[in-house]
Amino acid sequence: MQIKRRGLLLGGTGLATASTFGLARPAIAQSEPIRIGWLAALTGPSSAPAIGFNRGVLFAADALNAAGGVKGRKIEIVTRDTQGDPTKAVNATQEMISQLKVNAIWGPTNSGESLAVTAIMARANMPNIHPCVVDSLIDPKRYPNAFRIAPSSTQWDDAVRGYALNIAKAKKVAVIGDTTGYGVSAATASAAAFKKAGADVVYKTTIDATQSDMTPDMLRARNAGAEAIIVWSVSTGMIGRLLNTRAKMAWDVPFIGHPSLASGEIAQLLDKPENWKKVYAVGYRSCSYDASGKLPPHSEELVANLAGKVNLQDTLLWWVACGVDAVNLIADAVNATGSTAHEAIITHWNGLTNWPGYFGTYTCSATNHDGYPEQDVVMSDASSGRNGTFALAPGYE
Amino acid sequence: MSATEHSSAVTITSLPSTPSVLSQLWPFLALLSLALALPLSGNDYWALIATRAAIYWVLVSGLNLIVGFAGQLAIGYVALLAIGAYTSSVLAAGNVLPPVPAFLALGAAGVVGAVFGVVVGLPALRLRTFYFAMTTLGFATIVTQIALAWQDVTGGGIGIAGPQLPAPLNTAWGFYFFCLAVAAVCTWITGNIARSRFGRALVAVRDAEVAAEASGISKPRLLVAVFILAGALSAIAGGLFASLQSYITPDAFTFDLSLLFFIAVLIGGRGSILGPLLGTIVLTLLPELAAPLAAWSTFLYAALLLVIVLAIPGGIAALLDVRSRRPLPDKRAILPKLAALEALIGRPKVSGVLSLRGVVLSFGGVRAIDGLDLDVRPAEVHGLIGPNGSGKTTTLNVISGFYTPDEGTVTLGQEALPAGVPESRIRRGIARTYQTPRLIGEASVLQNVMVGATVDGRASFLEALLSLPRHRRDEALMEKRAELALAAVGLGALAHVRADRLQHSELRFMEIARALMAHPAFLLLDEPAAGLSTGEIKRLGELVRAISRQGTGVLLVEHHADLIFDICDQVTVLNLGRILAGGTPAEIRVHREVVSAYLGS
Amino acid sequence: MLASILASGLAVGAVYALIGISYNTMFSTSRVMSFTAGQVGMLGGVLGSLFILRLGLPPLLGLVLTLASCALLGVVTEFVAVRPVLKSLDQHLYVLSTLAVALLVQNLTALEWSTEPQPFPALLRFDEGIWDEKYWLPILACAATVCGLEFLYRRTLVGRAFVAIAQDNFAARALGLPERNLRIASYALAGAIGGLAGFAGGQLLLAFFANGPLLNFYGFVPVALGGLGNNRGTVIGGIGLGLFQQAANFLVGGIFSSVAVFALFIVILLAAPQGLFGAQAARRV
Repeated sequence: MQIKRRGLLLGGTGLATASTFGLARPAIAQSEPIRIGWLAALTGPSSAPAIGFNRGVLFAADALNAAGGVKGRKIEIVTRDTQGDPTKAVNATQEMISQLKVNAIWGPTNSGESLAVTAIMARANMPNIHPCVVDSLIDPKRYPNAFRIAPSSTQWDDAVRGYALNIAKAKKVAVIGDTTGYGVSAATASAAAFKKAGADVVYKTTIDATQSDMTPDMLRARNAGAEAIIVWSVSTGMIGRLLNTRAKMAWDVPFIGHPSLASGEIAQLLDKPENWKKVYAVGYRSCSYDASGKLPPHSEELVANLAGKVNLQDTLLWWVACGVDAVNLIADAVNATGSTAHEAIITHWNGLTNWPGYFGTYTCSATNHDGYPEQDVVMSDASSGRNGTFALAPGYE
Repeated sequence: MSATEHSSAVTITSLPSTPSVLSQLWPFLALLSLALALPLSGNDYWALIATRAAIYWVLVSGLNLIVGFAGQLAIGYVALLAIGAYTSSVLAAGNVLPPVPAFLALGAAGVVGAVFGVVVGLPALRLRTFYFAMTTLGFATIVTQIALAWQDVTGGGIGIAGPQLPAPLNTAWGFYFFCLAVAAVCTWITGNIARSRFGRALVAVRDAEVAAEASGISKPRLLVAVFILAGALSAIAGGLFASLQSYITPDAFTFDLSLLFFIAVLIGGRGSILGPLLGTIVLTLLPELAAPLAAWSTFLYAALLLVIVLAIPGGIAALLDVRSRRPLPDKRAILPKLAALEALIGRPKVSGVLSLRGVVLSFGGVRAIDGLDLDVRPAEVHGLIGPNGSGKTTTLNVISGFYTPDEGTVTLGQEALPAGVPESRIRRGIARTYQTPRLIGEASVLQNVMVGATVDGRASFLEALLSLPRHRRDEALMEKRAELALAAVGLGALAHVRADRLQHSELRFMEIARALMAHPAFLLLDEPAAGLSTGEIKRLGELVRAISRQGTGVLLVEHHADLIFDICDQVTVLNLGRILAGGTPAEIRVHREVVSAYLGS
Repeated sequence: MLASILASGLAVGAVYALIGISYNTMFSTSRVMSFTAGQVGMLGGVLGSLFILRLGLPPLLGLVLTLASCALLGVVTEFVAVRPVLKSLDQHLYVLSTLAVALLVQNLTALEWSTEPQPFPALLRFDEGIWDEKYWLPILACAATVCGLEFLYRRTLVGRAFVAIAQDNFAARALGLPERNLRIASYALAGAIGGLAGFAGGQLLLAFFANGPLLNFYGFVPVALGGLGNNRGTVIGGIGLGLFQQAANFLVGGIFSSVAVFALFIVILLAAPQGLFGAQAARRV
């Protein structure tokens, strides 16, 4: 059965707790560990990203500690499983702030939770990095403590729209979301942006991910004359059914959209492997291989380091890389300022310029906390997954 | 009379007495002191958790009246939390109207919640338990879906910021004290309801619906009042929840949360305030203490639920109820104090004859009553006998309005009694008992009897909620009368014992006490002697005679021929729904057909 | 498009009807509505996928093992959640005990199987448009179950004993029928029927832990519409619900279709609390 993931996960948690209780006892402040709070939806539905991030987090912490820590201080990861529930995330955040007194927080990993905890962290001026896409989460004025090291919703949307309009040359698009909070709002925003760009949104709908038959929606999209289907959903079941329905209808319309279109879970749900062709998911330059199968050099270095330590087969490289970067960014701030004071860390991040992470090259300032470079968001060929990396979609050089 | 004095001398020492106010209040005061001392920890995290528990309790306190008292299984109450959270947030943010102050938004949420409380609850008036549980789940889904779809107002999946209370309530501890105060008020008002005639009526509807109706309790009106209260409290809890979360999205209103509320009531115990309060605190704290088990949390909740249902169906409240585990004395006698009847019943005002004329009632082709004429006169004991299936109990059910006759009329004096409205009978002075005693097992004997006087209450639901003077007068009066009624039937010493601990014979007398609470002009007794000892039957006979001497007409359905012939003034014999014979006991005793049919051999 | 509504509407309707029959079967001998009905349906899909895809067993053996496991779960439900609370039916403790068992099953599946939908194997590899096996397998299963039950109830001794118990528990016990054994048997049967629903609908619904509450609700709707204990009414209600739901998916789509189903359900229930095809009202006094 599916022991692989959970086994790893439990091992991981065990490791984190071991460092929590084992290493932290010296009395002098300067040798106290650097405590990083990690709010992860490790179990429950939509736990796949956090499981990937977690591998990167633990890997980076171990690597730093093996090298003697940061200025002699060990890194200590304090993990709380929020299960994707905003209420649990709020509790865990306050616990990290008031009880566990962490120095910085990485996460949460999905937007619903992040929306609930952002104001709480801001009140405590807690340095926070997260990978959640909702645009309003980043606002240097209201939340001077919060930074994002992954693309925003708009950046994803721009990439998808750009690809649909400019490369797939679709003039008429159908936009489909699922009925989760994310699916509904992403589909709405996406449709609005397509219209603004002058494209014709011929069909827009939200589908209950458990709906057993997607034929109605696909038929209506085809009858409306859609030339591309834009999908905003994290539900692999729904994506699998949409792709099978497309094949049944013998319709070769391209699917363009959310990174989940490339999720490995989809492969098993398809009637035939070729149903996954002409599907393009949001991807990242750092995690895309070129025609010769090579990743960018910095990423190759990461993969080499991860080899034998972190399993990449059932996750995505970008999740792992992003987890590594998050820990390194916090460590770097302590290293540079020699302090774990909240203000010191935040000030340091405000000065990040082309900081070379594995997932991206981050640049932040006092007025811009969206650290991920827009041009690094690309489209991948969804079915080309290999060790968590993808081939660039056709049309990129 | 000397026997009565004897009984009080022996038994009162070993039976539970009136519980003192302090013994009931101290757990609440202890919890409150703990809550007030919490800021000493100086830890905002505990402020958050305690605030959360307080907010959940605001919801659960209202839900407790629905689930724990009225027994309606509302599983999906997270719907009302969501409605309250969105109403207050939307109003405070000004998405529809100009922004309003946070307190006003909270108040508006309460009003909206009251309305939706009724909408969510209404199916309970028509549907069976499981059906109702399913509809509340349906509502919970609909609310989330609408919150998602109505993006302009609710922010859709992106959500909306919760209302922020003004200083000094905008700090962690300031907000905590505010929520604590609201929670304390909720404890007080729901406690007031629980101890009032409304609370007793709710439990009566749950455990003894038929007896509740015959006692004049209108289930719809009662439930609607409670749904309004619970809806308002839940929505206010929702507003506070939105403030606490600082930001709400539809994801926050999970089924797990709904389950937490529901289970808190059940592990707390039905019909208790303290139990569900402790249940709420435990369930809020548990996940925090068991953080490494996060993945298993719902699994553990479910296991907990199963264990409680199977092992301690009474929940925490039953565990804490030490008094009810002390053994009762084995040998206790029912010794009616007939002198008390004078003060209890007085002279019934309504007089006139209770008459049935040409009543016909069929069940699927079988004529259970086939053209029955019957007159029951005041101050007379009228026996109704006949073999099984001859229509005796059916006749009682027609008189008390549970069955609508196909033909014929039931009149009291000059006035026709409307059929199918059992709750109207008690106001016309008709009270009754049942073949199987209808009791509220978890309530005390005294409370069971007080149910009989529900229609005497003058104070409104609102007055009871706030424990205003008129309500307190009502209660004091009812309690005094109930004590009198118990003394009259000979159960005075058992007033504070849980009713389900009584012996069968004692329950029969308890039902009579309950019926007597309404100053009945007519009393319908359905086999009151079944299961009684010879001595008890004799005392029952004396009691019934004494009741009729007060001017109450008694219609007595019985199998014990001796009792019938001893105490009845008139006897009617039924067979296959028709009158076989009628007359004085002396006449019936020699009636040939009757003798050959039943009395013979 | 009409063909598509009909094909998938009939198919999901048949699954709902089977779950409804599972509710009825448990109710007939115990007067208990069990929240496990939907979970058994979910397990039918998950176990089918586990046995056939993961463990590579032949489909027929997979089917037999799935039905056996689901029947076993039915028996466990009877022992753990039904029998202990039967003596106090009027307290409705069964709602809580069966809910608890349902949640245990669902969460265990989430933890040990997967929280993502997993594929269900094609059994006969017969997939031509609307004649795809995933559409007609549930209908076939439903028809077979209904015929089987009719045969059981009318032609066999055990079946007649079931009917006797369902009609009058006390009288049946007085006649010396082994009420307890028949109840256990009915729970096993209900488990197998629920498992068959999930198995036959596996390709439509996938092997997904969250199908439980979904089937619980959508399987209950036909019972409520058709009248409790009325299998024919349940089948008609189930098919009707399936068609209505698919039509709503076509016409209003997404969010509003589930709202439409819930709204219709509540309105019909309020208008006809005994269901459209009637079930006798219990005597109260």
